[in-house]
Amino acid sequence: MEEYCVVTFHITQHALMFEKVMKELEYPVKLMPVPRQISSSCGTAAKIPCEKKEEILKLCNERQLPTEGFYKIEHKKKRSWF
Amino acid sequence: MDGKRKMFISGGIIGLIATILMKFGNPGNMGFCIACFYRDIAGALGLHRAPVVQYIRPEIIGFIFGAFIIAIAKGDFKPRGGSSPFIRFFLGFFLVIGALMFLGCPLRMILRLANGDLNALTGLIGYLVGIFVGIQFLKKGYTLGRSTEQAKISGYITPAIALVLLIFLLVKPAFIFFSTEGPGSMAAPIALSLIAGIIVGIVLQRSRICTAGGFRDAMLIRDYHFLWGILGIFLVNLIANLVLNFQSFNLGFVGQPIAHNSHLWNFLGMVLAGICSVLLGGCPVRQTILASEGDTDAGITILGVIVGAAFAHNFGLASSGEGPTTNGKIAVIIGLIVVLTTAYSIVKQANQIRYEKKEGVNNA
Repeated sequence: MEEYCVVTFHITQHALMFEKVMKELEYPVKLMPVPRQISSSCGTAAKIPCEKKEEILKLCNERQLPTEGFYKIEHKKKRSWF
Repeated sequence: MDGKRKMFISGGIIGLIATILMKFGNPGNMGFCIACFYRDIAGALGLHRAPVVQYIRPEIIGFIFGAFIIAIAKGDFKPRGGSSPFIRFFLGFFLVIGALMFLGCPLRMILRLANGDLNALTGLIGYLVGIFVGIQFLKKGYTLGRSTEQAKISGYITPAIALVLLIFLLVKPAFIFFSTEGPGSMAAPIALSLIAGIIVGIVLQRSRICTAGGFRDAMLIRDYHFLWGILGIFLVNLIANLVLNFQSFNLGFVGQPIAHNSHLWNFLGMVLAGICSVLLGGCPVRQTILASEGDTDAGITILGVIVGAAFAHNFGLASSGEGPTTNGKIAVIIGLIVVLTTAYSIVKQANQIRYEKKEGVNNA
């Protein structure tokens, strides 16, 4: 079972700002489409390691990085086609 | 199954069905064409009177039903709206002006390319340039604002319109126009088109495939998830065309069905379509699916597309096999100016607000 966490944003620019700051601080971050499990929209989210959640959320607060939500994604082994 | 393969197969189903629809009577390289289909619907409703492009395309009705039903079943149906609907209307309006300059929405562009029409390559380059331009605005803070939850009934309006269209199609009242010649008269049987539309609507809703989103993510965040879907549409459609429609496969620029080879205007038309698609957050097919799952902003966008398509024929803006019209060229230029001005103004205002907020914090 693969597990990861994502941060979502209201607008694309916020995702890019988030990525820039996290990369500067050498956090492993990767931008990706919002996972299907969260939403039927096709915006941009940032994939981050779940164990860094608290640190990252604190950082966002300090640096005034606007975010929308925080989600944990669990891939079940048996996935239906839909 | 991993995401890429799922995307590729989803796209492949769309590509295959497009070939089948063409085989059974849809116009050349027009298994699907969202811009053309809305244009045909506008014509059938008498919003324009170009006699060769009037038909209530069952594929559109199917898309809406398919996406609506699966969205309800899977809990994706969420009536919402209020994200700059008026701006979206005009982005939809100019999107279709650009698409009808080229003679096809981005989806048909891929299908044209997969049947050998190299004019679609010029269109594709234009579309990519348009997406690139749109991305620059996204990077600078472009947004149409958040949508909020709306009354449940608002989400049922799009499927209700589809139902009314289906009744018109079956009952054929005297006030509905049906082409007796030209592309509007060429169509696969109603039941086949409808079922094909429903299947593709379901696939599109689940996979979220979007031509604009695929190229946008590849350029903006180097993510190729949705691009696999586009590749699936192209490759499967190409192979299926070679097997099932070999006599119509024609590699080159000349003699292509419902196309012209004015390179500059194919290019510029799709630049306009690309910019509008990125600014809207999705190409016409994606807007149709979003509207079906309760997004009333996408519903307004579709109204913009239908009205734009009607104007395109009333004012002689749409191209034909003979090439673009002078009016069409002027309209595309105006469209480019209008959408760029709109996007620039939004970005400028957004940055102004952010700047003032920061100032406020510093002074506090």
